[in-house]
Amino acid sequence: MARLIGRYLALAVAVVLLNFLLPRLLPGDPLAAAAPDGISPATSTLTVQARVQLRAYYHLDQPLFGQLLSYLNDLAHGNLGWSISQAAPARDLVGERLPWTLGLLVTALIVSSVAGSLLGLLAAWRGGQLDQTVLTLSSGLAAMPEFLTAIALLLGFAVALRWFPLHGGQTVFASDPGRNPDWPHALVDVAWHLTLPALTLVLATSAAFVLVARGAVRSVLTETYLTTARAKGLSETQVASRHAAPNALLPVMTLFGLRLGQVLGGAIVVERVFAVPGLGLLAYQSIAARDYPVLQAVFLLGSLGVPTVNFGLELAYRRLERRVG
Amino acid sequence: MPTPFRVSTAGPGGPVLLTLIYDTLTWKDEHGIIPWLAKKWATSEDGRDYTFALAPNVRWQDGQPLTPDDVAFSFDYYGRHPYRWTDTTMVESTTVLDTDQIRLRLRQPYASFLEDVAGIVPIVPKRVWSNVADPSTYGGADASVGSGPFKLAEYRPAEGAYRLTANPGYFHGSPTTRQYEQLNVPAATSVQAVQQGQLDLSWGTDASVNELFKGDSRIKVLATPPLSVVRLAVNTKRAPLDNKVTRQAIMYALDRTRLAQVITKGLPVVGSAGVIPPETPWYDPRVRSYSFDAEKARALLRGKQYAIELLADPANREPELLQPMLQAVGITLAVKRVDSATRTQLLREGNFQLGLVQHIGIGGDPDFLRRWYSGTEANDYAQGSIFSNAQFGQLAREQAVTLDEAKRKQLVYQLQAILADELPTITLYYRRFYWTYDSTKYTPMNTWGGLIDGAPLVQNKLSFLRR
Repeated sequence: MARLIGRYLALAVAVVLLNFLLPRLLPGDPLAAAAPDGISPATSTLTVQARVQLRAYYHLDQPLFGQLLSYLNDLAHGNLGWSISQAAPARDLVGERLPWTLGLLVTALIVSSVAGSLLGLLAAWRGGQLDQTVLTLSSGLAAMPEFLTAIALLLGFAVALRWFPLHGGQTVFASDPGRNPDWPHALVDVAWHLTLPALTLVLATSAAFVLVARGAVRSVLTETYLTTARAKGLSETQVASRHAAPNALLPVMTLFGLRLGQVLGGAIVVERVFAVPGLGLLAYQSIAARDYPVLQAVFLLGSLGVPTVNFGLELAYRRLERRVG
Repeated sequence: MPTPFRVSTAGPGGPVLLTLIYDTLTWKDEHGIIPWLAKKWATSEDGRDYTFALAPNVRWQDGQPLTPDDVAFSFDYYGRHPYRWTDTTMVESTTVLDTDQIRLRLRQPYASFLEDVAGIVPIVPKRVWSNVADPSTYGGADASVGSGPFKLAEYRPAEGAYRLTANPGYFHGSPTTRQYEQLNVPAATSVQAVQQGQLDLSWGTDASVNELFKGDSRIKVLATPPLSVVRLAVNTKRAPLDNKVTRQAIMYALDRTRLAQVITKGLPVVGSAGVIPPETPWYDPRVRSYSFDAEKARALLRGKQYAIELLADPANREPELLQPMLQAVGITLAVKRVDSATRTQLLREGNFQLGLVQHIGIGGDPDFLRRWYSGTEANDYAQGSIFSNAQFGQLAREQAVTLDEAKRKQLVYQLQAILADELPTITLYYRRFYWTYDSTKYTPMNTWGGLIDGAPLVQNKLSFLRR
């Protein structure tokens, strides 16, 4: 147990150090970076005097080791620092973005894992033409780059058909007087905004679930216990759901866990195309601006997600193995 | 939280927002500098003292009167906590003379003081900020109290969205626009968003919107003067670009008309070799021009072959168009693509030969030419400006302290002539900003020399007021 804790501690130290170093290894200067996507004004950049002051304020005038010490000191006090490009606490910026990423990615993950697994199960069980069609379709979808799917959906459903909004996670300032202030409307509004981004993610990720579930079920199709189950007079549906499906559960669970661990990293491409204010978009903006404190915070959250989920997964396996075994 | 000390350092979105919430001593309309918080001003003989008489009945958004004490305090406070967008260090002292008069004393005369300092520095309430030791983190409820036409009603940091509401007690009358929302929208779909009624105003640099909305009764397009420049920063310290003949040869080799046409899809505005764009107050129409002439370029290069590296952003389309043009005269252009933060650093370190940059801030007061090329500080103001020329430096310093406008204009013309001959930067072309707007909701306007300091932005506070 002590060794396990020691290993996790070493991992945590490595993660923190990497999170500190990686942004600083990028060439570029947080006080000189141009506006991402925007206009880079020559004269509207910082005055020399303001630059000197800001450099000192963010400890950027110190050597790397000094910066690391201030970072560790802040971190030990639960302080993630101040954003350089947005002049707000990094904690607040991350906190505001987190629900968006969680909402979008977890929803998409649940839908794609359930739909994908069921489809994979069905394809493996039925075989024949259906299996071939599902296999071809999901391989095709898996090969399609996310941004292409996103842009196609955006052009089709938001620009041409106008069924969905062009950008954003919600109607901003919807709670103004004269607009709909109550929460059911707000929820519908968010769902309406997130449909296309979520659909993009579902299309991009469900293929993996289809293939994994299909593979797992196919591998047990000829097992004798299925024949036994049929001999006992169970219907095909019962055989499939009670005896074949549980085998698929373990690999699907593994895949689900791996994907869940990545959720905190956000979905940079999708969030960017649809301007969903999630962690992915924040990471993108912060990389462009070389905003070290925000990058550290986003990376820290993202990298802590993986071991946390792994741990949960470990527990889940044990239960499942007992049931399957 | 937009306060003069806490808005994003990136891009002019922040400073524009501040102009709607806060006021400045002077302001600009379509034709020039106009009185604003200051109803009139006088300059002393030596050009170092500015005495401003404040307009009567100006109130902060919380109802308190705005006094000369607030003005004095603001400049003193910016001395300790620099305003991020304009230098105020030339202000030596502030003296309140009267209940409505204040005198600012400068260390030396500064020709662009009325436009670049008095017209840009937001006046903040003394009551709020005198107790704040660290303004970069202050976010109290009164942190965004200004005297401007709009009040901050809501700020959504996750979306980077601001909602402002009209200030009914504004000293120039209540704004005709009840509410102003500034949203972060992907550039790719912002025009569609105006078309679909989700936005009332959006901008782009692609002229094809003119065609798209031709004859549309609701959606109109306002083109700004060509206040955005696309240019090659040249490292004049490195061979072969240390030789001005090579630089001139490059200028002749480039068909800049075609370049501008292909990229902006509109009528091309070819770069002036003197940097200052046409259609702006300080442009010299007789500055030396270089029309496309590959033969002349080859003659200047005298048959020599060169390989030159160009730094560019991944999304830039210019390099592919520049390559064959230069190849035709014997220059092989190797393109190194890096993201803009990396490019900025390489330019700043002087670690480049040519760098493709695009930016605004060239249409306002011409003192930017001095700041670009004034030695050590230069690269903080303008990426990759490496140029040492004694005569240019002398003239640049002289124009900065010359208050006589006609005399100053001659000096600025001479600066353009030197730039056009020496070519420390190769101006490719200018871009207009095309503002697509819903004319039933709002009508944007162009500002003399650009909003703030040469920015092609159209949300001048006057466009929200009854005039």
